[in-house]
Amino acid sequence: MSAAEVRRPAPPLPPPITETGWIGWAKANLFNNWLSSLLTIVVTPLVILGLWFLIRWLFTADWTLITSRPQQYVIGLYPTEHAWRPLTGWLLVSLLWGMGAGIWRGGSAYRVTIAYGLFSLVVGLLPYGLFHPDVVMPWWVRLFILVNLPVLAAGFGLGCNRITGRAGWFVLGGLAAYLLFLLLLSGLPGVPGMEQVSPRQWGGLMLNLTLALFGIVLSFPIGMLLALGRRSGLPVAKLLCVGFIEIFRGVPLITLLFVSQVLVPLALPEDFPVNPVTRAAITITLFSAAYMAENIRGGLQGLPRGQGEAAQALGLAGWQVTSLILLPQAIRNVIPAIVGQFISLFKDTSLVYIIGMLDILEMGRSIVQGNVEFIDNGRELFLFVAVVFWMFTYTMSYISRRIESHLGVGVR
Amino acid sequence: MTTQDETHSPTADDIIVCNDVHKWYGSFHALRGVSTSVRRGEVVVIIGPSGSGKSTFIRTINRLEQHQRGQIVVDGLELSNDVRNIDAVRREVGMVFQSFNLFPHLTVMRNITLAPNKVRRTPLAEAEAAAMELLERVGIPEQADKYPGELSGGQQQRVAIARALAMQPKIMLFDEPTSALDPEMIKEVLEVMRELAASNMTILAVTHELGFAREAADRIVMFDEGQIVEDQPPDDFFNNPRHERVVRFLSQIL
Repeated sequence: MSAAEVRRPAPPLPPPITETGWIGWAKANLFNNWLSSLLTIVVTPLVILGLWFLIRWLFTADWTLITSRPQQYVIGLYPTEHAWRPLTGWLLVSLLWGMGAGIWRGGSAYRVTIAYGLFSLVVGLLPYGLFHPDVVMPWWVRLFILVNLPVLAAGFGLGCNRITGRAGWFVLGGLAAYLLFLLLLSGLPGVPGMEQVSPRQWGGLMLNLTLALFGIVLSFPIGMLLALGRRSGLPVAKLLCVGFIEIFRGVPLITLLFVSQVLVPLALPEDFPVNPVTRAAITITLFSAAYMAENIRGGLQGLPRGQGEAAQALGLAGWQVTSLILLPQAIRNVIPAIVGQFISLFKDTSLVYIIGMLDILEMGRSIVQGNVEFIDNGRELFLFVAVVFWMFTYTMSYISRRIESHLGVGVR
Repeated sequence: MTTQDETHSPTADDIIVCNDVHKWYGSFHALRGVSTSVRRGEVVVIIGPSGSGKSTFIRTINRLEQHQRGQIVVDGLELSNDVRNIDAVRREVGMVFQSFNLFPHLTVMRNITLAPNKVRRTPLAEAEAAAMELLERVGIPEQADKYPGELSGGQQQRVAIARALAMQPKIMLFDEPTSALDPEMIKEVLEVMRELAASNMTILAVTHELGFAREAADRIVMFDEGQIVEDQPPDDFFNNPRHERVVRFLSQIL
């Protein structure tokens, strides 16, 4: 046999028609084996029937309970004449959003930003008068909302600028904007137009977002410190962290909210200047931080031991090993769990209804229960609230997936 | 054994001096009285069966493992619980691991410049120029901007060597640097190590590459059950081993 026998490679043939196109797809996904075929045949008519009922209901649904008082879903019982204050807060968000898109340029950042801009445009131009001649959106409110678009563009410009477009400025600006927003909402005694508004009147989606942002921004660093404390060699720090984590994870959030409103004041002086919203925000933050700590600890645990050893062998100090080598890898590995925690935190902000706050869900419920004409419109309300929550959580989830694939560079 | 005693008596030229070093993992006695010293510029290859304590031993030299009895002095600094000494020793001792342990979230360039920049406070531009030179030296300057996950095993190990060299160490420790590599990649790593050995670097290498040991080593030290059983120049080590255990070990792996 000659060693140098030349073999001609077989030319590639197109796959059989049953493996590609919609036939191939259906075969692989719907009629894979007899069980899946059976399921497909049984479930398909049920889905069609369900969709039919849903669509028929959508045409008869009465959305008046939402369209007649949009303001209450957005800012709760916040006084109308002071609505410019939360609206200014929205402008701050737009500025930062645009800046973020300018700093982290790329297809997904643009897509999310365009969706955000379109959303502002639609809300600003919505012809409310067509449905409810009695509900007028004041011209200055429309103006405020539409101004979001140029502000978004200005933020983008800042983000693209070489000097201002830095992540550090973005974080600093975010913190400053948040504090400014809280100041705007609560007011400054003695300043005309900035009369104090009791946190009891904050409500609607604004309350959900305020609580969620506070929780997200603070629970992450607190959770990180707790995770590091739990792994540290200092027995006292470790004990404190383990105790904190286990207590806050082991008690339902509702119970913690009650404790913070009912029991904690007993332990404080009567005029202690912490209002119920702040107390709820702190409770939610600490609760979330306990979970965050365990997520991050999981990420640290999953790193190969050699990573820390290699960093030590190079002479890096302990805190450098942690901050430059271990944490960045650990956090990247648990982004899905961290964002999951953020999403669940955002949804949990609804629970503040049990301490008498009117978040978007409770605001709606009180509208349904307080007006005889809406008594049958519960379905519309819950569907509306569900869609609003979903819009926000899906955006978070989308951004996290993009960050994951972006950071996945070079990972085997 | 007069020759062994000569090797162990510390002189001014000794950069590493170990005296009766003991190490326990729980109740397991991993190092049982190791005494040896290494001169400046000497290349010492450490061999021995697995579990004999050879890796543990070189890991005590930069204190990745703590010894519990005895004395280790590296370049005049004794390793104890004194953190300042540990940091100072780690700055002078580079280490290369079996599993590379490159930082996967940083580029090759950043892997190399990180420690000089953060520990030695070398300005970044200067550190990058030095890193580029090192990458030339290990033969992969074109990989500077890639991430470790995009390189082959042999390339990763060469980056790991460059990373350790970037701190301009006086001593290099190699802990089975080729054991995780495919045969064709072992050669490229050994070449870099040979070049390093010829450049007057003090090297302690745990390896099963007897070819490298024969060519590049000044001494071959064999560990068994936590003790040094043989310590000779390569020629004597292979041709007149003093210890029966060496003969058995060589017959097992050759």
